Amino acid sequence: MKDINIIFKYIKKYKWKYIAGILILFIVDFLNLYIPQFTGEITDGLESGTMDRNGVMLGIAKIVIVGLILALGRFGWRYYIFGSSRAIECKLRNDLFAHLETLSMSYFNKNKTGDLMAHFTNDLNAIRMATGPAVITSFDAGIMTIMVLTKMILYVDLRLTLLAVIPLIFLGVGGVYYGMAIEKRFDEKQQAFSELTDQVQESISGMRVIKAFVQEHKELKAFAKANQKNKDRNLKVVKLQAFIMPLLDILIGFSSVITLIYGGYLTITGEITIGRFIAFNQYINMLVWPMIATGDSITFFSQGFASIKRVQNIFNEKPEIYEDETVRNIDHLEGKIQFTDLNFRFTSETPEVLKHITVEVKQGNTLAILGRTGSGKTTIANLLLRMYNAPRGTIRLDGYDIREIPLKTLRENIAYVPQDNFLFSDTLQNNIAFGSDHKEIELVQKAAKEANIHDNIMNFPLQYATLVGERGVTLSGGQKQRSSIARALMKNAPILILDDALSAVDTDTEEQILANLKENRNGKTTIIIAHRISTIQNADHILVLDSGEMAEYGTHEELMAKHGIYADMYEKQQLEQQLEAV
Amino acid sequence: MKKRREIDYEKSIQGNVLMRLMSYAKPYWHWMLTAFILVLLITGLELYRPVLVGNAMDEFINTGNFSGVQKTAIIYLMVLIISFVFNFLQAWILQLAGQNIIYNIRQEVFHHVHKLSLRFFDITPVGRLVTRITNDVEALNEMYANILVKLLKNIIKIIGLALVMLSINMKLSFYAFILLPFIIGLTMLFKSISRATYRVARTKLTIINTYLSEHISGMKLIQIFAREKEKYKEFEEKSVDLYKANFREMMVFAIFRPSIYILSVVSLVTIIGVGGDLVIRGTITIGTLYIFIQYINSFFEPIQELAEQLGTLQSAMASAEKIFTILDEEPMIVNPENPTMLTGIKGRIEFQQVWFAYEGENWILKDVSFTIEPGQRVAFVGATGAGKSSILNLIGRYYDIQKGKITIDGVDIKEMNTDQLRSAIGQVQQEVFIFTGDIKSNIRLKNETISDEDIKKAAAYVNADRFIEQLNHTYEEAVSERGATLSAGQRQLLSFARTLAYDPAILVMDEATANIDTETEQLIQEALEKLMEGRTTIMVAHRLSTIQHADKIIVMHKGKLRESGTHQELLNLGGIYKKLYELQIQ
Repeated sequence: MKDINIIFKYIKKYKWKYIAGILILFIVDFLNLYIPQFTGEITDGLESGTMDRNGVMLGIAKIVIVGLILALGRFGWRYYIFGSSRAIECKLRNDLFAHLETLSMSYFNKNKTGDLMAHFTNDLNAIRMATGPAVITSFDAGIMTIMVLTKMILYVDLRLTLLAVIPLIFLGVGGVYYGMAIEKRFDEKQQAFSELTDQVQESISGMRVIKAFVQEHKELKAFAKANQKNKDRNLKVVKLQAFIMPLLDILIGFSSVITLIYGGYLTITGEITIGRFIAFNQYINMLVWPMIATGDSITFFSQGFASIKRVQNIFNEKPEIYEDETVRNIDHLEGKIQFTDLNFRFTSETPEVLKHITVEVKQGNTLAILGRTGSGKTTIANLLLRMYNAPRGTIRLDGYDIREIPLKTLRENIAYVPQDNFLFSDTLQNNIAFGSDHKEIELVQKAAKEANIHDNIMNFPLQYATLVGERGVTLSGGQKQRSSIARALMKNAPILILDDALSAVDTDTEEQILANLKENRNGKTTIIIAHRISTIQNADHILVLDSGEMAEYGTHEELMAKHGIYADMYEKQQLEQQLEAV
Repeated sequence: MKKRREIDYEKSIQGNVLMRLMSYAKPYWHWMLTAFILVLLITGLELYRPVLVGNAMDEFINTGNFSGVQKTAIIYLMVLIISFVFNFLQAWILQLAGQNIIYNIRQEVFHHVHKLSLRFFDITPVGRLVTRITNDVEALNEMYANILVKLLKNIIKIIGLALVMLSINMKLSFYAFILLPFIIGLTMLFKSISRATYRVARTKLTIINTYLSEHISGMKLIQIFAREKEKYKEFEEKSVDLYKANFREMMVFAIFRPSIYILSVVSLVTIIGVGGDLVIRGTITIGTLYIFIQYINSFFEPIQELAEQLGTLQSAMASAEKIFTILDEEPMIVNPENPTMLTGIKGRIEFQQVWFAYEGENWILKDVSFTIEPGQRVAFVGATGAGKSSILNLIGRYYDIQKGKITIDGVDIKEMNTDQLRSAIGQVQQEVFIFTGDIKSNIRLKNETISDEDIKKAAAYVNADRFIEQLNHTYEEAVSERGATLSAGQRQLLSFARTLAYDPAILVMDEATANIDTETEQLIQEALEKLMEGRTTIMVAHRLSTIQHADKIIVMHKGKLRESGTHQELLNLGGIYKKLYELQIQ
């Protein structure tokens, strides 16, 4: 029950609109009953010859007036109820996004982007159905049924009503059963379809292997299986539908037959008039919708509640990284970094990724970190940015424990160039100015020049207004990387972390960028993570990581003299370079 | 080549799409016909029902003939039951046909895509192909299973209704039809507006989904740069845009539905007014009026459905067009009609003045000639873009060369069956593709003739067994797409086992430069040695040690073969290789 609270919070905001909508719905359903009655009165009058032309005209006028009110009302409830459900959806979507922004990296590592997006699409959609159409269907299923039945009983006949309604009860019960059965089959169908999609996706992605191992025919055979399964599951859904739809028709037909026999009998015996007999036929048809609505509203609500639960779970997710009471009032960092016996593991079940790291970086110094994939280099950067929490006392900046520094201060004072060069599909200017409050073009250009990307940008037709990504230009790996460097430099922060950020640029450009950095970052701290020796050999200190441990530490010369991992890597990389140089 | 494809493209545009779609229905024409006949019968029965009740009212209820009423009720009941059976049969037959057609189209597209050349995949995004085979084909189902027959049904229903009404009373029918143009007009208008608003809403939804996917992936960056507030504002703006589009869509319906309702009320009162007048004058009976009142309501349904169905037909055609574009794509590499079959490939490879470009005159290889004897180990050396990897691709005929000739055991590869050719070549790539499944299925792929024993033997031979045995489920351990659970080195070893299991005569490999931990690297080196034994090996080499041990070294530079020979011969030559070597030794 607690799960449902959150949605009430939103519904409450629109309670007047809901009340208005339901009131209109009530009026519509009520007036709706008069159309058959008026029609019946006219036919009766004509039948018995008691009605003249004026009488018919009066009846028609009544029908038209009621019809107009009904039309207005049908607009009204859509406007109020569907409108509110759309507004709730929008509000929920915004709040969900805002909440995601507070969650930590480990949450995003655990949950795939696609799954999170499904909450925004599928779940919000189901919630909207439960707050909009479900209101209508359940109202109609309940109130409308009662009103039509009352009308049938009062205006026509109680016994006839009781008899004629019997088949329709099956309709309501059947509807609920059908809703459940079809949902299960539909899920199975979706499942088969996504298996099919996965198989196609993989087969096409692995086309090279398939062709190399001449697997085309075997792929086709395997695909036929998935294709067949998809077909079978589809047929299971349509078989049910093919059966249910005519069943609906026959049940309504049974009511008509009962009406015909018993109603006909009552008419013959003179207990009801022929006009009422006709009206009753129309009422029977009016009951069809509420019966279907019963099934629908059960489906809407059950899906809606499941979705609300899932969304609620996201809202219940607490950020791992937050400021606790030990946080101090610090608004600027100088750039001194100390690691003291830093051990780190992502979760208590996983092995340690960093072991006994003790390094000090003086303000204005450059530390290079080198190591193979998976040796823990990026983790160090992540810990400095507090994307994960390092144990207390193991990381200090300017002498403060990292947890004592407000998050905003910490992240504003560290500029970071990530490994994956993620750029948003926005203009280059906005991308470079991403982390800065000042987006003036001069500042952007200055950063771009330092990152050696300015000339490239000026060569694009739209220059700094060029859109990145699918809708704009496709940047090469090197251009992306340099844009990402410019984005970090634009912050002009006391600490700069380059995480394998020069891997995609050629050696000349690399040299220039490094020279620019040296010139512009005088007195500021820099951490360079790299694979290439050329990138890091001029650093003040070099830390070589091997499986999370400090394998070697010292200057270039010191490490070369050691003839260890560093010296070995240096040799290997020489050949590559010379091949390029030929 | 290019020209021909353009013509094909035009042909498919020229409205033959529908004809082509129909050709898929051909094998099921008798099913379609049966369904159509059933639909006719069903429609007839549907129209008959109000007539039954109307007549009963006139002839029996008015005259107090209860046995007549009973007789009518029995007929009515029979009509109901027959309708039920027909309805079920009709829907089931059509769906069965539709699903079968869909199945066939999907098999055809999948098969066709697999025949296409690598060049096609170089330039076509995977996602687009996946959508063609899955969603676009699915969109056709609705057309075969529903639209075609229902379209006919509704047309017949409208005509049938009109005819029945006309035959009962001309004058009243005329009044019933008066509003027809308005209904059709309004429906058309609504359709075009709703389609436009729908499109806007779809676009906004796509925008917000793209934004979400990008910003959830980039959440780390947003947090690192402390941009949460700014990004929220951006999102809110897009979210409100979507809300407005959705709201507009809702308003279109909110206005249209009541408008159609008003029209139905107007036509009802028209019928009552005119019909009432006729009843008073005694021209028609009260039963006739009842029939018309019933019919006037059923007149609205098929017209609106028709508009709906035409829309669906349109989108199905759009999907079909996209599918046909792929089917019209011709494979660039085609098997010769009468391929020369070799019995047992020895592995002698010869390039004779080979020129090759992926596109136009952008030559990747220029006049390259060399011969590799069976069992030889040849290393290609050169900078990135020198054409080394292209040579590896050309041997398996993944691309066709423009000039010159490539032969294997003296036979032009263009005259060979590509399946035989490629089976003879084992490829080891830097990037190892792992299929979802388990270790076993990644070694044998889908070749069931490779037994579990063979798999274990192959794995043991290339040192892959050590890491496999350590996995929780050993050979049954599940691995996922892109092999995220395996390290780069493990993936390499797995690919060696895969290659070995297929026992190729020729080995083609791109030496891995990835950072692999020292321990695994040792295993990989050993495994490679074993793998190369007794096989003609062609490799793009990066390590000096590998290069030195080759029987022949070929130095490529800017698409040209510059030097070739053994290590010693090249050193004596005093060219590029010597320079390289000396720099290395320093």
